[in-house]
Amino acid sequence: MTGRADAPRRSRFTRRKLVPYLFVLPNMVVFGLFTIWPAINGFNISFYDSANGRTFRPVGTDNYHRILGNDEFWTVARHTIVFVVGFVVASTVLATVLALLLNGQKRGRGALSAAYFLPVVVSPVVVGLIWNAALQRQTGLVNSVVSALGFGQPAWLIDPNLALISVILVGVWVHLGFYTMIMLSGLQSIDSSVNEAATIDGAGTWQKIRLITLPLLRPTTMVVITLATIAGFQAFDFIFTLTGGGPVGATTLIIQYIYENGFTPPIAYGLASAAAVILFLVIFAVTFLNYLVGRRTEAM
Amino acid sequence: MTARLEEPPRVVAPPTTRWASTSGKTPSVGAIARTTVLIVGAIIVVAPLVWAGLSSFKSQAELAAQPPTLYPHDFTFDNYTTGLAAFDFPRYLLNSTIVTVAATLLTLLINSMAAYALAKYNFRGRDLLFLITLSAIMIPLQVILLPIYQVVSSLGMTNSLLGLIIPPAATPTGVFLLRQYMLTLPDETIEAARIDGAGEFRIFWQVVLPLCRPALAVLAIFSVIWRWNDFLWPLIVAQDESVQTLPVAIARFAGQQAIPFSQILAVSVMSIIPVIIVFLILQRHIISGLVKGAVK
Repeated sequence: MTGRADAPRRSRFTRRKLVPYLFVLPNMVVFGLFTIWPAINGFNISFYDSANGRTFRPVGTDNYHRILGNDEFWTVARHTIVFVVGFVVASTVLATVLALLLNGQKRGRGALSAAYFLPVVVSPVVVGLIWNAALQRQTGLVNSVVSALGFGQPAWLIDPNLALISVILVGVWVHLGFYTMIMLSGLQSIDSSVNEAATIDGAGTWQKIRLITLPLLRPTTMVVITLATIAGFQAFDFIFTLTGGGPVGATTLIIQYIYENGFTPPIAYGLASAAAVILFLVIFAVTFLNYLVGRRTEAM
Repeated sequence: MTARLEEPPRVVAPPTTRWASTSGKTPSVGAIARTTVLIVGAIIVVAPLVWAGLSSFKSQAELAAQPPTLYPHDFTFDNYTTGLAAFDFPRYLLNSTIVTVAATLLTLLINSMAAYALAKYNFRGRDLLFLITLSAIMIPLQVILLPIYQVVSSLGMTNSLLGLIIPPAATPTGVFLLRQYMLTLPDETIEAARIDGAGEFRIFWQVVLPLCRPALAVLAIFSVIWRWNDFLWPLIVAQDESVQTLPVAIARFAGQQAIPFSQILAVSVMSIIPVIIVFLILQRHIISGLVKGAVK
């Protein structure tokens, strides 16, 4: 840039220095106002309580004392953890298997991928309504298959344990296509010569998958696990129309707890904001842990 | 006859080549098993959607049938006509369309501007801004729901479409994705435009953005899916019916005791058809965009 030092006036030079800031400005204003500032303020408001969401009074660490002694919160926390673990494990395993199968498939791969990806684009609210119909005990599609296979008519949405399992299964159904495509992208970035060399050395398909593909796929797997963990903690919209959090709170997860305490009467703003901070810390810790594990496995 | 015995028998391509088109060999047991598993899996995944679509043409009585029917035996459009009479579909469709289009354009504009500065300029604070953007990918909007709502309400943007369009527009994922793509653009192109005397914004608009079309397309598609399907944020901000989007309006419609499920189903099916059509048209680009490392 000094090559043009003979011509430029000083104002031109300072303008040039300002340019990058002008480019980032619009994004950072929106981002700062609606993400960064609220994220910081979130900690602040967790030390206030409000019965109506308009007038606030400072309560110190009261909200945290109350929420940690709140049975309902612990029930919600337990269900959320069961959901997240079930959801992350099931979607990661299924996405890996599907990606391996799709990667080997030449004919019709495009159409098959599209089919698996389709649920990703469907509105979660509608997903909940459709699966609510499909999981009905006597009029649902699922039980007409299940009972034909001789397993009777499980009460998917009525039995509390089955309801949580149903919510996990529907969550997996929603996100599986997305994670599968990420896994597929990881698989396709693996150098094919490694596998060819193994074939020449006489390795079988299963041996190649277990000893070559899966270890090389580990960074991608960590990406999927991280994304799935965050998505799991966020799960709300499809559950809202699938079970509404029921039966008797069996599928009320943390976001619904925050939403209901923060926005629907009777408002317990303090509990909601403390729960949000706890959730934030948990997501942060888990993501950091995933990152560390990813680092370790990359180093190995 | 004997003379011909020396000739090797002609290899006739087996009729089953259709199965393994690339190699032309007879498919192995493994290949058949794999294809079968994939097809069965795809049917399981798509079945609920197809069943719901077909069910929306069933009569109310048939919807209550035990066991359920697979396809409508007496085909009827009643659910759609009564559903549209009870549910102001055009209004919510308009709201959803305005929010989706405006938010996506805004996202593409401000994300790409920020990404360009982060990728192609050296300036004080750049690394810090990038780090903050990266760490914000971890902060889902759901987690900071209450404080964002406070900001939006103090700006007077509740119960307005602006409150649905602006807050989620500065997606960190979009900035990240576009920055990574812009890093691969050669600096020489930008330098050449500069020597030709083009202004900085003109270079961005006429040189950089056209080169980023593939990455912009991926972000646009995702933004459309996100904004069209958004639920929790609009549920809180758009309490007034006049500004509700389709998901919020449908959830409210479904929550009313007096509304028969047949109508809810018809309205739901109508609401997902636009996205499904867009997806089916663009699916090749969406999936290849994703698989070709939009994630890296």
